[in-house]
Parts: sequence; C-alpha cells; structure tokens
Amino acid sequence: MDRELLKHCLVFHGESLLSKVKCEQKENPDFQAVISDLSKASYERRDDVKSNPLVEQFVARKADILFCPSWRTATHREEEDEEEDAAAEPYAIMPPLEIFMEVSYEERRAMLYRDLERGDVVIGRINNIREYGFFLTLLCTAVGLKRDIEDLELSALCHIREIPSTGSHDDPLSYYQTGDIIRAAVKDIDRYQEKITVSLQKASLSPIMQHIKLGVVASDELPKHYSLSLRAATDTSQTYESILRGCHGYHNPSVVDYLLEKVGISDTHPPSVMRGLQSQFFKEEDFASVIRKKQSASWALKCVRSGVDHFKHGRHVEAMNEYNKALDIDTNNVEALVARGALYANKGSIMKAITDFELALDNCPDHRNAKKYLCQTLVERGRQLEEQEKLVTAEGLYRRALDLDDASAEAQEALRKITETIQKSIRLREEALQKDQVTVKSGQTSADKLRKILKEEKRLKRKQKRSASSSPSSSPSSRSSSSSSSSSSSRRRSKKKKKKKHKSEQGSRRHRRVSSRESRRSEEEKGRKDSKEEEEEEWYPAPSNTSASFLNRKGGPGLEEEVEERRSSQLYALSADYDRSDSLCKGRKRGDKEQDKMKSSRNSPERAERENRGRDESRRSSIEENTRRRTSCSSTEAENSQKVNVNQVEVRRPDRRSSCEGGGYRNRGWQEHPDNGQMEKEGREERAERESSRSGGGSSLRSQGSGGSLTSAGRPRKDLPSNLLDIFSQIAQFEKEKGIKPK
Amino acid sequence: MEGPSSRLNVVEAGPRKLATRQGSGGDSGSGGDSDPDAAGDIKTHFRVCRFMMETGVKLAMRSVPVATACVLYHRFFQQVSLQAYEPYLVAMSCLYLAGKIEEQHIRTRDIINVSHRYFNSGRAPLECDKDFWELRDSVVQCELLILRQLNFYVCFEHPHKYLLHYLTSVGSMVNRHAWSRTPVAETSWALLRDCYHGVMCIRHTPQHIAIATLYLALNSYGVELPVGEKEWWKVLCEDVTRSELDAVIADLLHLYDMEAKCV
Repeated sequence: MDRELLKHCLVFHGESLLSKVKCEQKENPDFQAVISDLSKASYERRDDVKSNPLVEQFVARKADILFCPSWRTATHREEEDEEEDAAAEPYAIMPPLEIFMEVSYEERRAMLYRDLERGDVVIGRINNIREYGFFLTLLCTAVGLKRDIEDLELSALCHIREIPSTGSHDDPLSYYQTGDIIRAAVKDIDRYQEKITVSLQKASLSPIMQHIKLGVVASDELPKHYSLSLRAATDTSQTYESILRGCHGYHNPSVVDYLLEKVGISDTHPPSVMRGLQSQFFKEEDFASVIRKKQSASWALKCVRSGVDHFKHGRHVEAMNEYNKALDIDTNNVEALVARGALYANKGSIMKAITDFELALDNCPDHRNAKKYLCQTLVERGRQLEEQEKLVTAEGLYRRALDLDDASAEAQEALRKITETIQKSIRLREEALQKDQVTVKSGQTSADKLRKILKEEKRLKRKQKRSASSSPSSSPSSRSSSSSSSSSSSRRRSKKKKKKKHKSEQGSRRHRRVSSRESRRSEEEKGRKDSKEEEEEEWYPAPSNTSASFLNRKGGPGLEEEVEERRSSQLYALSADYDRSDSLCKGRKRGDKEQDKMKSSRNSPERAERENRGRDESRRSSIEENTRRRTSCSSTEAENSQKVNVNQVEVRRPDRRSSCEGGGYRNRGWQEHPDNGQMEKEGREERAERESSRSGGGSSLRSQGSGGSLTSAGRPRKDLPSNLLDIFSQIAQFEKEKGIKPK
Repeated sequence: MEGPSSRLNVVEAGPRKLATRQGSGGDSGSGGDSDPDAAGDIKTHFRVCRFMMETGVKLAMRSVPVATACVLYHRFFQQVSLQAYEPYLVAMSCLYLAGKIEEQHIRTRDIINVSHRYFNSGRAPLECDKDFWELRDSVVQCELLILRQLNFYVCFEHPHKYLLHYLTSVGSMVNRHAWSRTPVAETSWALLRDCYHGVMCIRHTPQHIAIATLYLALNSYGVELPVGEKEWWKVLCEDVTRSELDAVIADLLHLYDMEAKCV
C-alpha cells in the first residue's frame, strides 16, 4: 500500500475513515504493515470538508485497490509538444479552469509560486531594459504549467548573461526593445521573495523540450489556451462547456484514445474498482486471440485429417482442397503444410513441395516428417537438376539434404556420385574447349557451320525435351512456342505484345522490327491479294527453290539421317532459310550479270506462273506430309507441332519474301533459347551474317520483282521438268532475237 | 463464479429460444423468485453487464464500445421484459453491434468463443459445426432485433471524453507532483467503466456522470482544489447540482454493494 497516499487521504477524511479502514482491511497484510505508523497520528476532521460516510465506506472497502502501488499506471510525463498539439488539436485545449472558477488573486498568486518550476516556459512582455538585463511582465505560461497569470502582475528578470549573444562585440541587449514579447525559460524562482528569473539560453530547458525556441515571438504565436482565456475573460457568456463544444479537438472521433494515452491509462487492461473485473487476474487462455488460435488449429487439423483420408484413397484433388482449406483457416499450419508438400512431391511439383516443407520447418524447426520429406525432396530435385546438367546447384541441394538429415544414405550416395560427375565433366569440358579451338581455327565453310548448328540444336533439343517432361512450365519451350505462334496467328496483336514483353531483350529488338515490317507488308498484300489474286502471282517473284532444295536434302545422305524424324520440320525451316539467304546473297551478287537473262523470263508470265504453282504444290505436299507425321506424334511435343503448323502457314503464303523472313525469324527465335548458352555466340554470328544477306537480298528481290521471278533460273535444278527448261531457253532465245526490252 | 458456469445450457440453448422465454427465471438468482420484478432483474442485469465487461476485456474492446454495448443492453431491456429474451444472447449481440457502431469491429466468432469459455471455463473451443453456426445465426438475428427495438437509434454520447477533458483541466490546477502521485485518473476511469453495470449509465446525463466519477475520485484521495467563487464542478457543467452529484455517486456506490451481493 502506498503509505503516503493513504496518509494524505486519512488526513483529509479524518478519524472516521481510519476506523472504517481498520474495520474493512482487517485481513489485509499490506494494511497491517502500514497501520501501526498511521495510527500514531491523530486525524482531526476539518470543518470545511463535508465528508460523506458512504464515500468513506467505499474508500475503506476498496482501500486495497485504491492505494495499491500498481493501481497507478499513469507515469508522469512532461507535456512536450504543447505548440504542435495546438496546431493539430487532437483534443480540446481549454483555457485554465480558474478563470471560470473566479479564484481569488491571492490564491492564484500563491499557487503559481508554489507550482512554477525551473524549466517551465513562460511568455512575457519586456517592460524595462537595464544594462544588466531586462524585465518581463509575464503574460501566460507556455509549457509545463497551464495557469491564468496575466493579471497577477508577475515580473521576471532576464539577466544579460542569460541572453545568447550572436556576435562577440555586440551588446546582446541591443536586439530587444520594450514591448517585445519574449518566450523564456524559468531559471530560478525565489518563493519567499517572490522573484522569478528567466533565461533565453537553451541549456535552461529540460532535454525533451530542446526544440522550443526562446526569444522574441510574434503575437500570433501565443499559446491557444491564452487566447481562449482572453476571450473567456472578456465574454462572460462563454462557459467552459460552450468552449469545449466549440473546439475541433472535442469532435475528434479518436479523442478518447488520444487522451487515454496522454493520461497514461491502458484501455486494453482497463482499471476497475470491481473485484471481479481486475483484469490482471483474467487467464491468458480466455482471451479471444488465444482461443481463436487454438480453435483455428483444431479446425485446420480436422481438414488435414480428412485430406489425408482423401489422399489415402487416391482422391488427390479433394485432398489438395482440404489442405488448402486447412491453410486458409490456419495459415502456416505445420501439419497442413507438410501434408500438402507431400502431395505436391507426389504430383511431381517438387519446387512447390520444397517451399511447403521449408515453411513448415520455419514454423516448427523440429518437425520430424517435415525434415524427412524435405530431405527426400531435395535429393529428388537434385536428380532433376543433375539431368539438366546443373551439377553445382544439384550438389548444393544434396548438401542441404545432408544438413537436414546426415544419416540419409540416399543423399550421401547422390552427393558422392555428383562430385565424381562434376570432376569428370570439368575434365571433359576442358578437352572440348581445346577441340573447339582447333575447329574454329580451321576455315569454316557455310556447310560446316550449318552442320555444327544442327548438332548443337539436336543436343539442345534433347535436353529441352527432358526438362520439359519433368517440369512442364520450363521457360524456354513456352517462350519459343509463344513467340512463334504469336508471330503467325495474330501479327498485329503480337506487335503490341512484343513491345511490352521483350523490350529489355536486346536480341528481340531487331526481331520486332522484322516482324512489324512483315506485318505491314502482309497486310498490304492481303488487301491486294483479295482484289486481284491472279495478278499477284505475276506481281511477286516466285519462291526460290528452297522447298526443292530441302526435298533434295532429305533424300540425300549425311545430316538428315542423324536427325530425328519429329524434328525434321524445324531443321527444314532452318536449312531452307539458310539456303535461301545464301542463294539470295549470291543472287544479288550476280544480279547484274544475270539481269538480261531474267528479263527474258518476264515476257512469259503464264509460264512462270505455272512453274510457280507447280513448285508451290510440291512444297505444300511435302510439308503437309511432314505435319501429318508430326501431329501423329505424342502430345508432349505439342509445342513442336504447333511450330510446324506455323511453318505450314508461313510457307503456304504466296508471298515469298514474307515466308522467307518469317522462316528466318522463327529460326532465330528458336535459336535464342535462353538455355542454349553454348551456341548463343555462334548463333549470333550466324544471324548477323544472315541478316545482312537478307537485307541485301530484299533489295535485290525488289529490283528483280518486276523483272520476273526466277532468281535462281540460272542455277541448276534437278526438280524442274526438263521440258520446261527447254521451253525456257527457247523463249529466252526468242526474246533476245526480237530485242524486246523490259520496262 | 459459480453463477455463470452453471448457466451453460442457457447460451447453448439460446438460439432456439430467441422469442420464447425458457425457464430461465431461476437464472436471475436467489432473489429472482421473491421479488421478480425489481431486485432480481437488477441483479441479472448486473451479472450480464459484468459478463459484457469481462468479455469486452478479453476481446480487447476499448472502453467506449463496451460502454455502447452496455447502453444498448440497458435500453433494450427498458423496452422489453427480461422474461421475454435471453439476456446473455442479447449481451453478445450488443457487443457485436457496439463494435460496429464504435468502429471497432469484433467478429462473431470471437464473441462466441469467449462467451463459450466464460460459461464453460477450461473447455476446448467450439467445433465448426451446426451448433456453432446456429449460435452465430442467433447472435446476428438478435442484433437485428435490438436495432428494431431501439428504432435504429444507436448513437450515444458517453461521459468518456468529458471525463478526459475534465481530468486535464482539473489536473493543471493541482501541483504536478501531487497530481502524478495520486491515481485520480485511473480511479475516475475505473469508476466510469464500473457505472455501466447498472441502469444509472442511461439515467444520468454523460456530463454528470463524468463529473461525479471525477468528484468521487478526487474526494477519495483527498485532493484539494483551489476554491473560487464557483465550485469546479459547477464550472464544468452549468446544470449540475450538488444533489444531482450526490445522487449519481450514491447510484455508483450502490453498484459496489451489488457486486458483493451478486457475484
């Protein structure tokens, strides 16, 4: 029990309270400890205090609560930010109560000298400047004490030592004039002589009030309670209540919370004088948050149980739903996480499984099943990575698995194996590097390059296939398929999409340009095609012998035999493109030379057209054959078949240039798999070469466009019917003789 | 607290007995039978309010929402007979509704959980089954009933903010060291919260209650304020009189006597 407090109370209430307290608190050991002291003094009831026996009874009964030291939760706090509070006004700032109570001058003066303390901030007007300082007439208090002092005729001295000087040679007093309003801190107070000295030095402020500026203040900077009290003093119709209702702070919806905190009362463990409501005796497990937690856990566990039941009966979807429900109810429920992780692992979603197990272990580091499963899953994932030849990552995973469970034979074995493999592969790589350097040095013919690319691609493809089967959402395949499909099916849309999607990718920038150019062109062409399909055949040059060349190749020895059937179409696209660009390049070079020859062909459009059609026909059939074969392939190759469809569409287009470039673009897109780092560099070289040749080819084509179609008329062609060739040469002969010039 | 714990079936049966009063007349305690109209009802209300306060603390509700809940409860039973409705269910709905009114939303699930535990201390929380949902439904239904019964007039002015403003004003008249030594703020706040145990919280105006609690707290500790032409409480609220103050204090002190009798 707080003895001082009780004593003060007893002094106030008198002897009658003491006897009541003695009676009520007989069994309180705390009270017995202090009673002997308190009994010695005599408490004479003062005449001016009318004591209510009911109140005394109440105090006596509740004395153990009211005088308990822990009852006082409010800690004395300095009123820090009076000024800032006034601006925001979170609560109603009221003028001092004694204005309304009309407390006498003497009493107020006595109260001020009693309560004013060093460090308080006061505001006063300079009324007299002397050589040793100036005198202030105090107007109001600013910080610390909130009293009405204006009419108390208080005078305070500010000594010259207490005025901070700005310059060494200046007289600090010269900055101040009579009538200035000064904010100053109380430095000393002589309660007997009734003398107050103030200071303008920062040091006289208490540390938490260092932000308060001392010195001259403008008249509008005066504290709010002062201006309010001025108004209240002049206008008697203003009552405390009316001012309170007029304040913004009073209407602040959270004024109660703000003031509670300011006063220092806890609203979560509120005080009560009722014995049954002493919140410190409430059991922690009866609180809502605790019960909810417990309940959630039990509800979630129920879901997990039914989920496990589903799982045992092979109903995986239902099991997953139950687990997810459990995790909805109780996020981070360890059992649910472990069970879901196990289900994921079973379904092959190893990464998701690992995430779940890890989360479970975060929440419960000693969960045995979680540890065991995570260890197994990590090993499993490591195997996957190993197959993708990400050996170092896989090794890391094995090590982690061993960290979790050093007894795991599986992990140990895997780790041992992978260390060997890594060493072996390092050795192999070194050898390969040396070999590579040799081959690079030897002059590379285009055929060599091609073969190399093909080999690389084949290897890559295999790898990709494997990774695709293990993780269906592996990025490279999805990307290539999306890019190729979008390029063909919806060009206009893809233009926009691509801008967003691949903006940052350097390689794709060019690619976009090409595709946009293409799209523009294909649009024009479509329009034209609609109106005059017949003419178009004439207008545009016939495709080069690409299809023919790959048909040849297919039959031919060497490369294609090694190539897997289902990949063939892509390879064709590649080789065709390569061939084409090559031929274009050549075509341009000999463009001038052969111009005459080609001009001659222009005069026989029908024939050229026929020729064209024939070639188209043959190509189409071959591709269709291809696709037929392709579509019969397993569904895991869906993206590949899609690609072939694209090819088909592209190639079928009568416009040769677009098909040519489309092929090149597709080819490139495929080459740009993020996975095929090894061949990236070469691929780029290759591409650059092709690019230049294509642009050249494009121009040459355009120039040749009007001049007939047979870019490669001069080149030997096995597939062209021999009689056609004969006719050709005859026509050429004829024209030469006639001397007809082209436009 | 043998009273509430023996009342297990009351709340659990509550949902089905919204409109028809079951034989819970015995619930109103020992005095219920001898003086069924006044004393028994007051005691029941006291217990139910105690339940609301305790639940409010366990739900981490602030003082104002709890006060609103109690006012809702008292106003509701001013309109209707205690025999017609299950008071604990009404209390739960009042807590729920008060949370909405005072912008401190409390979930029905928490209210049900804490209440369930109040009546069955030590038991495991409810399963998510039919009983739970029925209980929840009845809480929500009862909320609508309360709203209709009160004609949707559910915004009340509370003494809380008056008291806090009065505290700051009165506190600045006292020597700061004496003020910080004396737990007047805590005591007056506790008294204010406690006064919601009875109908007095709606019988008196908020200012009067605030002044009375402050007066009682100051008086209990023997804090002396400067004496002017007017009494400090007269300044704070023009229309309060000494007799009015005494009446509020008497009502409040009566509640503490009730505690000894009821619990």
